[in-house]
Amino acid sequence: MYGVKYKYLFLMKKWGIFMSITFKGGIHPYEGKELSEDKETLEYLPKGDMVFPLSQHIGAPAKPLVKKGDRVLVGQLIAEAGGFVSANIHSSVSGTVKGIEARLTVSGSKMNSIIIENDGAYETVEYHTNDKPIEELTREEILDAIKAAGVVGMGGAGFPTHVKLSPKNADEIDTIIINASECEPYLTSDYRRLMDEADKVIEGLRIVLRLFPGAKGIIAVEDNKPKAIKLLREKLGGDTDIAVNSMKTKYPEGAERQLIYANTKRYINSKMLPADAGCIVHNVDTAYAICEAVREGKPLIDRLVTVTGDAIANPMNILVKIGTNCSELIEAAGGYRQEPEKIISGGPMMGKALYTTDVPITKGASALLCMTKDEVAECEPSACIRCGRCVSVCPGRVMPNKLARLAAANELDEFIACGGMECCECGCCSYVCPAKRHLTQTIAGMRKLVLSNKKK
Amino acid sequence: MENTLKISSSPHVRSKTSTSDIMFDVIIALIPATVVGLYNFGLHAALLVAVCILSCVGFEALYQKAMKKKVTVLDFSAAVTGLLLALNLPPELPVWMAILGSAFAIIVVKQLFGGLGQNFMNPALAARCFLLLSFTKYMTTFVYDGVTSATPLTVLKQGGSVELRDMFLGFIGGTIGETSAAALLLGAVYLMLRRVISPKIPLVYIGTFASAIAIYAAATGKAVVDFTLAQLCGGGLMLGAWFMATDYVTSPITSVGKIVYGVVLGLLTFVLRIFGASAEGVSYAIIISNLLVPLIEKATAPRPFGYGAELKGNKAEKKDKKAESKTEENSEATSGLKAPMDGKGIIKAIAAIFVITLVMGAALGIVYNVTKEPIADVNEKAKQEAYKEVFPDAAEVVPVTDEEIGGYDHLNEKFLHEQGYPNDTIDEVCFANDENGKTIGVIMTVTNSNGYGGDIQMVIGFSLAKEVDGKVQKRSITGLSFLSINETVGLGMQATGEDFTSQFKVPVCEEFTYTKLGKTNDTEIDALSGATITTSAVVDGVNAAMHIMSMIGGYK
Repeated sequence: MYGVKYKYLFLMKKWGIFMSITFKGGIHPYEGKELSEDKETLEYLPKGDMVFPLSQHIGAPAKPLVKKGDRVLVGQLIAEAGGFVSANIHSSVSGTVKGIEARLTVSGSKMNSIIIENDGAYETVEYHTNDKPIEELTREEILDAIKAAGVVGMGGAGFPTHVKLSPKNADEIDTIIINASECEPYLTSDYRRLMDEADKVIEGLRIVLRLFPGAKGIIAVEDNKPKAIKLLREKLGGDTDIAVNSMKTKYPEGAERQLIYANTKRYINSKMLPADAGCIVHNVDTAYAICEAVREGKPLIDRLVTVTGDAIANPMNILVKIGTNCSELIEAAGGYRQEPEKIISGGPMMGKALYTTDVPITKGASALLCMTKDEVAECEPSACIRCGRCVSVCPGRVMPNKLARLAAANELDEFIACGGMECCECGCCSYVCPAKRHLTQTIAGMRKLVLSNKKK
Repeated sequence: MENTLKISSSPHVRSKTSTSDIMFDVIIALIPATVVGLYNFGLHAALLVAVCILSCVGFEALYQKAMKKKVTVLDFSAAVTGLLLALNLPPELPVWMAILGSAFAIIVVKQLFGGLGQNFMNPALAARCFLLLSFTKYMTTFVYDGVTSATPLTVLKQGGSVELRDMFLGFIGGTIGETSAAALLLGAVYLMLRRVISPKIPLVYIGTFASAIAIYAAATGKAVVDFTLAQLCGGGLMLGAWFMATDYVTSPITSVGKIVYGVVLGLLTFVLRIFGASAEGVSYAIIISNLLVPLIEKATAPRPFGYGAELKGNKAEKKDKKAESKTEENSEATSGLKAPMDGKGIIKAIAAIFVITLVMGAALGIVYNVTKEPIADVNEKAKQEAYKEVFPDAAEVVPVTDEEIGGYDHLNEKFLHEQGYPNDTIDEVCFANDENGKTIGVIMTVTNSNGYGGDIQMVIGFSLAKEVDGKVQKRSITGLSFLSINETVGLGMQATGEDFTSQFKVPVCEEFTYTKLGKTNDTEIDALSGATITTSAVVDGVNAAMHIMSMIGGYK
């Protein structure tokens, strides 16, 4: 039935059994989705200056095309790709370029950024729409449109999409997976995108399928979003090229390798790409951006951000123009109900803690999480009691307690030999450790060291 | 303007469970067993529990203070060790021995090796084995209802039968915590519901052991179900399987490793219990298996997700271990990622573990069995010599059963205890016959458990009333000899001397008493100087024998 060898799915369809698929390991933290999942999305118009870091993607930073004093329009190209693996950056407002200088970003480092003063007019460049039926779109048309629009992976990684869609082994790709699991707690932007713009997401998937004839599509949704699953299945009707898979709700269900395994029973490790398993994985927002880029000719200039947490008065999803300052978003969500102890860009498991909200929203920033209590500061780490919880939850099937011990002792070779580089830094081990040991941090530190040694 | 924000590395949330929560759950799970133990064994047992917990916590705090380390007693791990140790001790153990055991467990086995998480052996069990080796008699004296008796397992080993319901509910003798399988199971269910332990190790352990026992029972013609259930409920198996074998620090951390560990434990316990010298094998089985845990972990380390996948092209699927191992050796593709252990390696390592297990168990069993007969022979010889000594006139000595002496059930322990002699047991009653087969006397073997150094087993000869030269000679004691006596040399051991034993060669009386002030008549015995306890034990034994003699009527 499908090119995918997955007998559970076949049985499921045959017997109509609603079964959720998954992998071994993982944790079930407090989901926190109810704070924002059913609230209407706010379209926010920024007030202050817009900041566009030149590197909002994996690969070479973009090269600026404007200089101080230039007038720019919405959708205008202000920086072009700086290499093969790179992406364009467009302005999300109309106004005047104030300058190019180093500014703090969500990752904690300072980066060269284009500063644009917003004139509030939102004068837009002309977009070139494309209404051709899917079968008539050519490969070049699609990839050029995506490249021109500066679409990158919106799940946080920011890999330039047009590069991802041009793998070396294009004829071996037989599965396109849309990652709608949104396994990080508190985040609901992908869910809202599905509920509000399901048609465009599906269209985006169809466009990608056009690039790989013979491939089938899967939209993988966690089973804590039953409404989304129902909606998608209704919209797809009897479409035999796209399936909606219900995934077991757990973290990290959306981790790439585990996702591919759960949906196709194929394994990849840290040295392989999904393309090596015949799969390409895209975030929901990326699929939406692809559709906008190809059909509407719109560049990537806005995204959905979940502003949430128990410190926020009105947690909700906000449609944010790229470059908006985070402190404005907090105000838009009602401000603080209570002073937060911690603000995280992203989800609580893999997000980065911010020490100030005076940073811009970039293409990969998916959430602002404001927590009244810092659970990490509450507990002192203590001795490892070899309870084995970390081993049982690790989705990468390595032994975190052993790896952390080797990392702390600086044993590089033994660390690599025991599978240290297979760690995806999901954070499950630190979460579950009863001795509150900082396992993820220790292992991540060692991995950085190994990678930087390799580069030398 | 924001207040100061905290930053740290991801992940930013933590689960609610902490180390002290887990330890506290274990303490709660042990409460049913403790309650049954205290109900069975009373105040001294309660004292032992309190002393063990307090001394374990105290020693840990003292050690950590002395070594200028952070005092971590609030994580409850020392308290758990104390409680487990107490539950593994016999209820009448002297308190100072319990304190010594606690010191050994905490300071030597745990702290000297690096503290929490670093002990190579279960501290409570290691301390129990330490006490077992140092103070064997005290550690193997079990009372029930105030009466010293053999544990059900010892009875089983000697071929007797036991009451299963009592064993399951716990109305039997044993260490404080091991008696009630029901209470222990209750605690174990609690721990499983709280996700503190996984049932893997205990179920595999008990399953392997039960299978081995069942096969053994079937092979030796015993009642399979009864024997197996009795073995499961008796001794420290339930306590060991659910609470000691699942100890995090000393059990394997890998999933498959836990299964291997359970099987090793089951086999070792079986071999030690059936073929070993003592009826109890769980403690030694667990500490020996603890030593094998690092090897088990190495052999069963998990394969990282997607290991070797790049060698099979894009339709990567999990192949069997043999195929993968061949390609690993040939290619560089895994660049530094060591094979966790290929198929051959795992099988070799696990085979080594089993061989070590079986060899050790077999060695212990063989030594015991090979020496069993010679030991029995020597004992038999000593017995015959003792008989000769106490009744030189007998041509033959014939053991008799209860029916033959009037059906009084004398050989049943409870009978004697109810008659007012709780510390004595009659081991054997024999008739001494002359050349014509006429019974001229009775020889009794009595054991008194209240000696200073433990049991005293003595042989007492009684002559029956007879006519000599027209005068009636009453029954009297013809001799007193010792089969087993472990008293203090120079003091209590003087009991074996002619000076002491000859005092008993007098006509039978109601009861002997001992005095330090010089005896005034034949019913008084001069106490051994500096050995009153020994004297008391011997006198009590003789009195018990005389009491039984008085009930063997018709021979006045």
